[in-house]
Amino acid sequence: MFHKGLWYQNYKQTKMVVWMLLVLFMIHLPFQAIMTLESWRTRQTQLRLQFPIQPFEFYIYEIYNLFFQGMFAFIVMFVIIFLACLLIGVERNTRRMDFSFSLPFARKDIFLAKWLYGACIITVFHSVNFFVAYFIFMQSEFGSELANFTLLELFVGPLLGFLFIFSFALLIGTFTGEMISQIALTFIFGIFPLGLYFLVAALIDVHGGHYPSQPDWVENITIFYHVFSHINTSFVDLLYPIIGIILFAGIGVVLYELNKVEHNGEFLIFKGLHPLFLVGITLCFSLLGGIIVSSLAPYDATTLRIITYWIGFAIFLFFSYLITKRLLQMNLMVKNK
Amino acid sequence: MKIKHLSKRIHQSEILSDIDFEVKTGSIVGIVGRNGAGKTTLLRTMVGIIDPTKGDVLIGNDSIFTNPKLKQEIIFVPDSSQALKAYSTKEILTLYKSIYPQFDEAYFQDLMERFSLPFIKRIGNYSKGMKALFSLVVAFSTRAKYILLDEPTDGLDVILKKRVLKILVEEVAENNVAVIISSHRLDELEFMANEIVMIKDGRVDSHYELDTMKSQYNKIQLVFEGHIPEELENKVKVINQTGRVYTVIIGCDNKETEALLKKHKPILYEELPISLEDLFVAKLGGDDIVS
Repeated sequence: MFHKGLWYQNYKQTKMVVWMLLVLFMIHLPFQAIMTLESWRTRQTQLRLQFPIQPFEFYIYEIYNLFFQGMFAFIVMFVIIFLACLLIGVERNTRRMDFSFSLPFARKDIFLAKWLYGACIITVFHSVNFFVAYFIFMQSEFGSELANFTLLELFVGPLLGFLFIFSFALLIGTFTGEMISQIALTFIFGIFPLGLYFLVAALIDVHGGHYPSQPDWVENITIFYHVFSHINTSFVDLLYPIIGIILFAGIGVVLYELNKVEHNGEFLIFKGLHPLFLVGITLCFSLLGGIIVSSLAPYDATTLRIITYWIGFAIFLFFSYLITKRLLQMNLMVKNK
Repeated sequence: MKIKHLSKRIHQSEILSDIDFEVKTGSIVGIVGRNGAGKTTLLRTMVGIIDPTKGDVLIGNDSIFTNPKLKQEIIFVPDSSQALKAYSTKEILTLYKSIYPQFDEAYFQDLMERFSLPFIKRIGNYSKGMKALFSLVVAFSTRAKYILLDEPTDGLDVILKKRVLKILVEEVAENNVAVIISSHRLDELEFMANEIVMIKDGRVDSHYELDTMKSQYNKIQLVFEGHIPEELENKVKVINQTGRVYTVIIGCDNKETEALLKKHKPILYEELPISLEDLFVAKLGGDDIVS
């Protein structure tokens, strides 16, 4: 996995996104830190003019927004997923995987080189930018406020979250046949446990049952939750991403070795998964269809809600079955010479 | 390099079926077959891009699938240079030098000069012919022992093609490499290949040295007073018919057919030199009469 050629190839393939990621991390952390401090200073000055004796207080969420929540953290996550897709999905859409697999390297090494390459980039970019932002904050008049937060919640948690989603997106790429399905399934499975809970809970609710309260484990097994949720995080909480990263990289190696290059360009690489995906995707969209159509009925009209729910379910079942069947047969291989 | 009982199923259809042959260094092996016969799949499996359903590819006695390092001795040149189109010439050089330890940079520079190929910032900007040529230059420079070429002269003009064929032959003679070529250009294969593997429906239909293969068949031009007698037509392979002039192929050891032929007393009976194309039509052409 340390073959120079593989790293060179990976860099060449992802150069633009890597630089984009660096700029985004710079905006997300140091630049946002400077802007946050500036806006606090402005607010402080205005407050002093209006209420000279009232002390200035900032909202705690502003610190969280700066370090792991907010729009930029989301954009960074999206670009990390895109990086994983460039490393595997795009290889499949074009002829690059043919080239990689003809090289004198084991498939395991090819996959681990990709994983390590992405993991190193994320770790270096995040760490450097985090500590620059942290230093800027420490040096400011608000520096003492950082004592209320641990490095686990501000630094280790978010870093592991990014590595977790990268490993996950790369794993998805080992069984999807091209880039679009890799992106789509990363997002779908990234929120799947919470999403499925929402669909089932709504089904129960429509049929007169109590909307079930959400158990903690549903969040804990939802990948995206670990990217953004680090408030008061503990070592135990970090075990989820740590175990996830090791597990995803390990399963990724196994699936990449079993690669069926001849199915590149198709929705899935392993044809045995087709029935599972056909049933799964159709069922989830049918449940969603039920919720959407039943929302048109008045909330207290129980029977009407049930009827509209099943009408929506049936309509979505019909169309999602046809679309999914098409989807599983598509081929998006670029074949130009 | 030994191709051991390779089989491959894709989408429930048998693309390759029990392919078994050996390639020795110092030879040029032509792989021929009709479109969709499985030639490209065979080449892709021989270099480990595709896993076979059954069988193995050995170098010495080791499998390239369990010991991928052996693939330093195999280079595959596909019919498209799509994979590396975004690289500059220098970047390709850096990439290949880091992958193939025996990469010969001096030879690379020499070939680039010989073919007047410029160093450019994007391989994709080479013309179609230049791309094909550049792929070959890179492949030769790796000093791999087995060079697998898929339609190598596709897109080259006649002059370039002749130079490429010449260098292929030189490469085999001087550096003791083996070149395995999948091509539809049977005239080119005839010029340089010493062995021919014919693939039909995913199976090796025949594998002979070209001269041996040619000596097994006779190509005869016949003219009868009327049409060719039906009992004769069923025994020979008619590869061409123009009016009453028939060109047929029969096996050399097929005495019975030869006797039958003479019995019908053709007005004209002339043996013609047989080409690879004739053999291709005779062996793989099915029942279609080519005219």
